[in-house]
Amino acid sequence: MASLPCSDHTAAIQEMVDGTLGAIRRSELELHLDQCDGCRALLKDLQRIRDAAGSLDRLAPPDRVWLQVAGRLRQEGRIRAAHTRPVTSRRPYVLTALAATLLLMIGGSVLFLLPATRGARQAATATGAPASPGVQPAAQVQGNAASKDAVQEGIEAEFRLAEQHYQNAITKLEEAARSSEDSIDPQTAAMLQKNLQVIDQAIAESSAAMRSEPTSVTARDSLFDALKRKVALLQDTIALMNEMRKGNAAGVAQLVDGVNKG
Amino acid sequence: MAPSKITVHPSAARSGAPADRGAELTLVERCRQGDLGAFEELYRAHSGRLFSLLCRMLGNPTDAEDLLQDAFLAAHRKLDTFRGESSLGTWLYRLTTNLCLDHLRSRAARTSQVTDTLDDEPRLADQASRGLAERAVNRMDLERALAQLPEGCRAAFILHDVEGLEHREVGEVLGIAEGTSKSQVHKARLRLRALLG
Repeated sequence: MASLPCSDHTAAIQEMVDGTLGAIRRSELELHLDQCDGCRALLKDLQRIRDAAGSLDRLAPPDRVWLQVAGRLRQEGRIRAAHTRPVTSRRPYVLTALAATLLLMIGGSVLFLLPATRGARQAATATGAPASPGVQPAAQVQGNAASKDAVQEGIEAEFRLAEQHYQNAITKLEEAARSSEDSIDPQTAAMLQKNLQVIDQAIAESSAAMRSEPTSVTARDSLFDALKRKVALLQDTIALMNEMRKGNAAGVAQLVDGVNKG
Repeated sequence: MAPSKITVHPSAARSGAPADRGAELTLVERCRQGDLGAFEELYRAHSGRLFSLLCRMLGNPTDAEDLLQDAFLAAHRKLDTFRGESSLGTWLYRLTTNLCLDHLRSRAARTSQVTDTLDDEPRLADQASRGLAERAVNRMDLERALAQLPEGCRAAFILHDVEGLEHREVGEVLGIAEGTSKSQVHKARLRLRALLG
């Protein structure tokens, strides 16, 4: 057993561990520590405890916590509609899709036409002839035709990426919902299941329409609308499970009401 | 002497320069306007340290998840009251710690558990005479010992020694004087020494 620390030096030892002990008191304490095993042992132990405390791991909350928070905020109408509310009108989405399409077309055309122009200029330099801005070389006409296909492919790739983003979110939400599905009562579970089936059906129909008509804005609009509704419903489901687990009857009633209005 | 954790701790950025404070206020303003993306940014920046605090205070990750959710919902409701006088991190710590202490008190009341207070502490310096005998402190042992501390000094210890807040900030978060924070942290360390020895 180590000898006891001196009670009149304990405060100074703690301040030394805190790093707040002034120079004079620190010198005095160091003189004392040279002679006192108990105080030296106390200082070492407290430093070890502080070092160990500072090295404790930062714990990360599971993803479902954020999903529950976002679901509740949306449910309580405390966030701007554009971010999470299911799209009830197609107009905003159509405008966004048009804007995205225009941007891609403009960006794609510029990017695609640049090499063609540069090629014509290089060819003109090689032959010594100036590249006339008023006359389109044959290579440039072909380049423009090819650019349309590329732009179209680019748009489709963007949409595929966006669809994948939704599908990934849905997968994560489904995993989170499955992890605590026991907390939900059978009647509510059946109602949620029914709503999900309706949305899944809409997703399947929109996907089929997309396959038969890949450039249809209406089909894309429907598909993304359905995917957004599924994300929103899954967020509500998780929030509902959480409220049921906590026994918050008022929160449950509010969420069930929202889901029913869906 | 151990290197001062405060100089390297992430909390150094928390109390921040005026530019950081300006960025915080901008972020808060976006959250107030209902921008979910902004609130997710705020959540991602602070949820880790708040969740760690809650897990260690409550000793139960399920309760910690529930309270973390409650804390962020409460934060969203109270964003109008955030004036930027303290950092956003300190404001969130205060809000979360208050929720956590309320929860612990109601849990104690439900189970008729009597939590000991620091005034009832035995003579800690005497108890700690066992010491650690040159042993390193195992982190698992430390987590277990932390759970045995009275809630007041546990909160102060976690905020100061684990999370790296200064005593002044701990005082702000817990609504106590800076000197009281020092006293709580110091007593927590002595008690931990006794528990680990």
